Amino acid sequence: MAIIEVKNLVKTYKIIEKEEGLIGYFKNLVKPKYKEFTAVNNVNFSIEKGELVGYIGENGAGKSTTIKMLTGLLTPTSGNVIVNGIIPNQKRIENNKNIGAVFGQKTQLWWDLPVIESFRLIKKMYKIPENEYRKNLKKFTELLDLEELLEKQVKNLSLGQKMRCEIAATFLHDPKIVYLDEPTIGLDVFVKEKIRKFIKDINREKKTTVILTTHDLKDIEDVCDRIILLDKGQIIYDGEKQKFKDTYGRYVIAELIVNNIKDNIILNNAEILEQNDNKLKIKFSHDETTIVKIMDEISKFCNIEDIHMKEAELEDILKEIYKGVHTNVKNNDATSKNAI
Amino acid sequence: MQKVIYNISLYLSFLKISLKEILIYRIDCIVGIFSQLIVQLVSLVFMFVVFQNTENIAGWNFQQILLLFGITRISIGISGYCFDGLYDIGPKYIKSGEFDKILLRPVHPLISIIGNSREFVSIADFILGLVLTIVMLVQLAIPVTILLIIKILFFSIVGALIIGAINTIFSISSFWTYRSNEVIWSFYRMYTFTEYPITIYNKFIRILITIILPFAFVAYYPTMAYLGLNTYIIYLSPVVAVVLWFVAVKLWNLALNKYRSTGN
Ligand SMILES: Nc1ncnc2c1ncn2[C@@H]1O[C@H](COP(=O)(O)OP(=O)(O)O)[C@@H](O)[C@H]1O
Ligand SMILES: [Mg+2]
Repeated sequence: MAIIEVKNLVKTYKIIEKEEGLIGYFKNLVKPKYKEFTAVNNVNFSIEKGELVGYIGENGAGKSTTIKMLTGLLTPTSGNVIVNGIIPNQKRIENNKNIGAVFGQKTQLWWDLPVIESFRLIKKMYKIPENEYRKNLKKFTELLDLEELLEKQVKNLSLGQKMRCEIAATFLHDPKIVYLDEPTIGLDVFVKEKIRKFIKDINREKKTTVILTTHDLKDIEDVCDRIILLDKGQIIYDGEKQKFKDTYGRYVIAELIVNNIKDNIILNNAEILEQNDNKLKIKFSHDETTIVKIMDEISKFCNIEDIHMKEAELEDILKEIYKGVHTNVKNNDATSKNAI
Repeated sequence: MQKVIYNISLYLSFLKISLKEILIYRIDCIVGIFSQLIVQLVSLVFMFVVFQNTENIAGWNFQQILLLFGITRISIGISGYCFDGLYDIGPKYIKSGEFDKILLRPVHPLISIIGNSREFVSIADFILGLVLTIVMLVQLAIPVTILLIIKILFFSIVGALIIGAINTIFSISSFWTYRSNEVIWSFYRMYTFTEYPITIYNKFIRILITIILPFAFVAYYPTMAYLGLNTYIIYLSPVVAVVLWFVAVKLWNLALNKYRSTGN
């Protein structure tokens, strides 16, 4: 059985509609008017033990709301969530024993105390056996480079240091599932890389299931094998990351250094993304043309000095999807995803 | 039973942690204790003035009233230290979103919250209460036996538990109003009713503080027992405490469920 099973999950928030003026204020007090807003709309997925899943979507797509329901912080309006055989919303504390969670920059560490004191308390709370605790502490200290931080007070740590300690705290009790909601927000590249590597290492060793939401799609590129793409509360893609890229990212971006531009450049099978005196950025699909043909075409307009090509990245593809380029995503994959 | 022990030991760990946190702010702490002591001394002066004009209040003389005051302070001191973390729910946890973090622990959130209490100043209440109680027992010629001391400590802890349970019930409001502090505090102040014999109040308040919010079991009935005025009703106190906690936790859980379904 899947470790996480989500069926027809819906969350509708009730928002009090504010009325203007003093009379409105009292009206609200006596009989508030509610407006409903569906943040998560009939979501289905199932996740197997050990999967690394990127849960992505634009701001306000409903990612955090979903994760809050998976952790039992929020009661679903309708639908079912089963995590590790239990319903988190009904057996919250039982469920908490199996999971770890990071929500943005909020810390679960005790602000005024040295980091190690928080770790000890976590050990006690989760009843982590002494030898497990020692082993994990040693390994995490190495992987996340915590040696010098452990004796420092949390409030004196920088954001990057705090986040490294936070990640260690989250994995300390060997949770079966870890939810990471925007764990890398505001961090520099080096800390991000450390955290990504840590997640992958632990996943490989302990088969920890990880669900990750993030703004930085490099996190997803690096860590996740599978993505679930959410748009306005609905899943529009669920499947392997590579397949997603193959399907929607079958194009190449090429940057050319050119000179002597003679005319307005017009290309038949490629799109010009950027152009100035000596630089040309184009996009084309392997299905329609080849680089040789393109270069042939371009050389009619100018001299090519250099060329640099890159594959479409997740970020590029998603931008296009949000812009509505791949209108077929929704139609095709919303139906096919259940087969995955 | 194992679960109870686990919870109590966790609670003690949290308290230990909060004690360490308090000690980081040593100066704040000392100033706090002194100002608290001064507040208490002012109410004592007030009582002294009252007794300049009257021999007794509701049949209680000055020493007896002071004993009642002392016993009240002991309970308030304990409950202040152990349960005042409940006032933080609105501003400290809900508003800041820290409550989520507490809900993600494998422990009942109440244990986390009351364990995170840091009202160390209430040690002033405790010490003042203890001193006053012993002095008044001597003045009233009540023999201060070990048994009596144990009895006083036991029923003071029970009293503190009663106050704690009542606080827990009132803390529910902070799920929806971040600034519930004032609301709770105003009810909290009702413990001051028990600094006087309940017979001075009208029927409504008497019923209120015996049955509905049983503050009378915190100090009034125990003190009656120590004075030999009514020796049996004191044994109801532990029952009241247990029932009250049962109700408080049930109500709190209901509120928590409601809170989780609205999405704060
Ligand atoms: N407590 C709430 N009350 C009302 N609306 C909310 C609440 N929390 C989130 N929302 C709304 O629900 C939508 C989804 O929010 P969220 O799950 O936080 O999105 P994401 O994490 O994908 O950015 C947003 O439009 C947000 O404004
Ligand atoms: Mg979010």
